[in-house]
Amino acid sequence: MLSHLLPERNIHFTQEKLTWQEAVTQVARPLVEAGDVTPEYVRAMLDSITAGGTYIDLGHGIALAHARPEHGVVRTGISMLRLGEPAPLLDLPEHAVDLYFCFAAADADAHMRAMASLARILSDAHTRQALRDAASAPEVVKLITEFEDSE
Amino acid sequence: MKFLAMCSTGLGSSFMVRMNIETVVRELGLQDVTVEHSDISSAGPDSADVFVVAKDLEDAVQGLGDVVVLNSIIDMDELRGAVKEAAARHGVA
Repeated sequence: MLSHLLPERNIHFTQEKLTWQEAVTQVARPLVEAGDVTPEYVRAMLDSITAGGTYIDLGHGIALAHARPEHGVVRTGISMLRLGEPAPLLDLPEHAVDLYFCFAAADADAHMRAMASLARILSDAHTRQALRDAASAPEVVKLITEFEDSE
Repeated sequence: MKFLAMCSTGLGSSFMVRMNIETVVRELGLQDVTVEHSDISSAGPDSADVFVVAKDLEDAVQGLGDVVVLNSIIDMDELRGAVKEAAARHGVA
């Protein structure tokens, strides 16, 4: 369940004006601090975006930063960072992102189940908007829990 | 007919797109449709009838055949329209 992988401590909000590199580093911070991923994982995500990985932009101002499991994932986990203003990927205006998720999957199976849950939530227009409107970590967790309970 | 959702790793966004195509196929009640996902480098023209990628990977899929390019991979309205049109092109209803 996504609600188990994205606890309140992994959800942060900031009004700082960040570059996309800072946004990716900050969204991953709770996972690094908890030991879910190594600093190498953050480096791998930044490198992959630099190499043209703007496909992590899902649209609607949302990006899903991730790298491969072997690049430093210890335990499966997800984190979220909501920005006050967009930090466009590679500084490209067409990739304006103000809601960053960091996705760390320890293995393919964990990857599939959590990704499926996140995809359903983000692809539901109502939940997606509610997630963008949420102003606190408890609100985000409540939203996700309610969505998963309703399925 | 077969849809193949693709991304560069075959792990993340292609899986999301596959799930969403499956949802749309169910919604529309389309028969005899299969959906798979993979990375771009392992796909060839014979891998599927319709290839689906996000906008950023458009350049990487030239030559595969019937390619659908999505502006957003989580926009169900856009995907619904694209799947409907692709199904019609391939005579599936």
